Amino acid sequence: MKKVIEVKNLSKAYKTLKVLEHVSFDVKEGEILGFLGPNGSGKTTTIHCILTLLRFNEGTINIFGEEMKPDSYELKRQIGVVFQEVAVFEELSVFDNIDYFCGLYIQDKKQRKQYVEEAIQFVGLEHYKTFYPKQLSGGLLRRLNIACGIAHKPRLIFLDEPTVAVDPQSRNNILEGIKKLREQGATIIYTTHYMEEVDILCDRIIILDQGKILAEGTPNELKELANIEEKITVEVTNMTEKIIEGIRKFKTVDQVMFEEGILVVTYHKGKNNLSQLVDYLKENKVVYHKIFSERPTLNDVFLQLTGKELRD
Amino acid sequence: MFWHNFKYSFKTLLKNKTLVFWTLLFPIILGIFFHLAFSDIEKKETLDLIDIAVVSNDAFHENKLLAETLRVLSDDKNEQRLFQTSYVSLAKAQKLLKENKVIGYVLVDEDIHLTVNSNGVDETVFAFVMDEIKVKQKMMEAFTREETITKYSQGELVDYEKIYRQASQLLQQDTDVIHDISNQNLSYTMIEYYTLIAMACLYGGMLAMYITNYKLANMNCVGKRTSISPVSKGTMLLGSLCASYLIQLIGLLLLFLFTIFVLHVDYGNHLLAMILLACCGSLAGLSLGIVVATLIKTNENAKTGILIAITMCGCFFSGMMGITMKYIIDKNIPLLNKLNPASMITDGFYALYYYDHFDRFLFDVISLLLFSLVMMILSFHELRRQTYDHI
Amino acid sequence: MIIFKTFWNVVKKYKGTVLLYTVMLIVFGGLNMTTNESSMDFVSSKPDVFIVNQDPGNKVTTNLIQYMKNHSCIISLNEGKDAIDDALFFRDVNYVIYIPKHYGQDVMNGLHPKIDVKTTGDYQASIAEMLLKRYVEVERFYQSRVKEEEKFIKTINQTLETQTKVDITSKLDTTELTSVSRYFSFASYSIMAVIIFVICLVLSSFKEENVQKRTMISSMNYKMYNKKLLIASFVYSFLVWVLFILLAIFMFKGTMFTIRGFIYMFGALVFTFCSLTLALFISTLIKSKEAINGIVNVIALGSAFLCGAFVPREFLPQSVLTLAHIFPSYYYIYSNDLLKTMETISIHTLKPVLFQYLMLLVFAFVFILCNNMISKYKQKLDRL
Repeated sequence: MKKVIEVKNLSKAYKTLKVLEHVSFDVKEGEILGFLGPNGSGKTTTIHCILTLLRFNEGTINIFGEEMKPDSYELKRQIGVVFQEVAVFEELSVFDNIDYFCGLYIQDKKQRKQYVEEAIQFVGLEHYKTFYPKQLSGGLLRRLNIACGIAHKPRLIFLDEPTVAVDPQSRNNILEGIKKLREQGATIIYTTHYMEEVDILCDRIIILDQGKILAEGTPNELKELANIEEKITVEVTNMTEKIIEGIRKFKTVDQVMFEEGILVVTYHKGKNNLSQLVDYLKENKVVYHKIFSERPTLNDVFLQLTGKELRD
Repeated sequence: MFWHNFKYSFKTLLKNKTLVFWTLLFPIILGIFFHLAFSDIEKKETLDLIDIAVVSNDAFHENKLLAETLRVLSDDKNEQRLFQTSYVSLAKAQKLLKENKVIGYVLVDEDIHLTVNSNGVDETVFAFVMDEIKVKQKMMEAFTREETITKYSQGELVDYEKIYRQASQLLQQDTDVIHDISNQNLSYTMIEYYTLIAMACLYGGMLAMYITNYKLANMNCVGKRTSISPVSKGTMLLGSLCASYLIQLIGLLLLFLFTIFVLHVDYGNHLLAMILLACCGSLAGLSLGIVVATLIKTNENAKTGILIAITMCGCFFSGMMGITMKYIIDKNIPLLNKLNPASMITDGFYALYYYDHFDRFLFDVISLLLFSLVMMILSFHELRRQTYDHI
Repeated sequence: MIIFKTFWNVVKKYKGTVLLYTVMLIVFGGLNMTTNESSMDFVSSKPDVFIVNQDPGNKVTTNLIQYMKNHSCIISLNEGKDAIDDALFFRDVNYVIYIPKHYGQDVMNGLHPKIDVKTTGDYQASIAEMLLKRYVEVERFYQSRVKEEEKFIKTINQTLETQTKVDITSKLDTTELTSVSRYFSFASYSIMAVIIFVICLVLSSFKEENVQKRTMISSMNYKMYNKKLLIASFVYSFLVWVLFILLAIFMFKGTMFTIRGFIYMFGALVFTFCSLTLALFISTLIKSKEAINGIVNVIALGSAFLCGAFVPREFLPQSVLTLAHIFPSYYYIYSNDLLKTMETISIHTLKPVLFQYLMLLVFAFVFILCNNMISKYKQKLDRL
């Protein structure tokens, strides 16, 4: 598969503060790449560097095999960006906003009209064409923001946290839309700090923290990387230090945590972990209520990699 | 692409109520205020009819010169009359003065006495006329003495009536030696309206500033979006700035029409020169707007504040808040007003209105063009930049 | 207390605006004291005259110049044509006299040489012209009669020497009072702008839809909340008044601590109160901050221009003054002018001044009434 973006050794610093350190990655054609990281980890900065909005100290960036420069207009023509902030003209209606931004890419009026209509349909703003941004709710505004970014049918799309502060309905609508865009052949780079979204949406994930890439791979690869196979959570009423020590002694157990009546046991391997644990608890006359057994989530991966939670 | 940007910039700017208010409506409102406040100032500087009283005693009636002069100066058929005179008793005159019905009264005994309430212009004029009469009286006395001596030495009969007539005739001869070569256009309140035009021109910079901000990735998010589009910044700005310039000119046209036809402001008789000056003035405003937008790194509200502050300061030095300020600066710190775009515009209109040659006007127009050029060059570097350290 | 604190925090954001109008007031007051344009005493109504003498060294000519010097202010100017024209336009000089070549000689030879003049056409120029005319008339009268130069000059001067005796009855020194009165009249603009602008903006922050909702659901009694906002506005207005009064005391120490000065202060207080009620009314009427900015400028500038805060009332056309009755500033500025010319202060003479203050209170009352009616109407609308 062709590489759409190649970033090599990208570094950027504000005086002594390093915001990106030797970031290198590729994006393959047709994939959805997730950029995962907490606020301030360098996701948006990376995108701004790729778009040549920001200067950087070191590194090379190629898009479609060519070096990206501020005046690479032919490359820019194939890129669409949905920024974190809603970037629209307050003074223009929904239709005019999309038409204006689309017009910067598509000169032909007839074609543009069609594209704009399609974009409006795509985000479901058919009934709001003549509305002004002020009159739209947060979710609708986000959709307008997306329509402005993708109306010209770009081959490469950057979506920078497009679902922040959006109601679940609009959010599903947006996520569905992104899948649709991929089906139409676009390559997508998606940044977020919502792991659930990345989990269901992305083919590949890059985890960033403090300007460094911590891990890279498909969701499953990453979960394996975290060295967790299973996580069992049990609500218990009586528990002693001795019993916890007993659990720790199982061969496949990785970690045992007990806090406020909740026992969490993580395993790095093995089968029948659950029945083994239940048996052990019964043996020691521990009263238990609810038991969950889960596969690890990306949050666990992140926790493992950085020692902190993704969401603060 | 030019038209695409032009069209949407035009739409955006006209839709922004705040911008439209400050650039199009506010100058007109201010113009109305100026008109209401200043329309009478100059008229009131010329002399109004002055109410005076004369104590009508025998001594007054004997002083024919005084009686006659006052009669002529109070005659309502005389277009140049100065006084509205009441002939009353002394007590009545004092009462009138106390009630402020007259500014003063004349009492004639051996000499002419003047009593006034306070110091003022009318009082000065009143005293002046009395002085005049006394001077004439002296000349008359001199003439009479001379004539009487001549007649007497020639042994003729002295006809006082005749001498008096001769004397008055002599004195009534108009002195036509004073030749007025003043300029016709002397209405200095016009400067107020010229500063108003200057203000409108520079406020127009707000439009350019607003639309330029939309093209700067470090100013707002729409700027980011336009920066990543496959259109060069130059092309995009050209369309947008042309739109803002057009709105500026439309605003000025409205202001001109309003001030000329409703407020009767006189801009001199050189229509083309006036249009040229307005265009150059707007250009200076536009380039000032771009400089503020590009060179000053702060949020949009602060930029607007700075532009308004620059404009109002400029207008202050060119005489908006006190017409003499322009003259004081021109006379004492000429450099300040040579660098001040508001003053260049004001001065250009002043030169058109008042001067009979074009040197000063041309100097102002060239100054404006130079100013615009320098501002553009200053912002050029910043505008060409496409990548930033911070966003 | 928390409302007060927040109120002041928001006010602090607009300290630049308050500073701007205060500085304007100081500059205006300062300029007014030094130039004193509207003070019109006998000395200062001497016209400013500039003489271009093309006949230097001649005694007859010199005598004319000397005469003008004695009765007017001779200005020194750059002799260039443009400089003279500029000076005329901006009333730096009222009258320019061009004495032609050989003037003195021509006069002695019995000719009537022409004198070119340029005039601004105002009353001071008229006075200058009267002076010149009088001199030329006298000169012409003796021209044919006295042939000897020395004697000729002497005769002219003797004739022109006369001056009418003038008694001035008023003992009131209007110079300082004019400045004080102009200061307070201009302050009407500053007070109005500072109060309406800041109070409207601050209250609009409090009344912003989401903030409003939040306070509605808070445990604070809504009526109490409004009352506290009102008190905070009162305190703010009072402080503005104190600021401007302190400035006045600083500038006019002599006048401010007299009965007249106290009445000026009291008037300013009444006007401040009236502005406050207007501000509250506007803030109920309009919510958008941008609109407030425009409206404040139009109202403050409008009433300042039309009521005589910028241009003295005596220079305003009658029709404008009639129109100005709809603004509270009119009554306030009128009261200042009345105070300025009042010779003795007693209950009786103060009546007209107090009447103006009463009018201000009537305005305040109307604003409060309208404010209540509109806010009740709006509340009804909200409930529907």
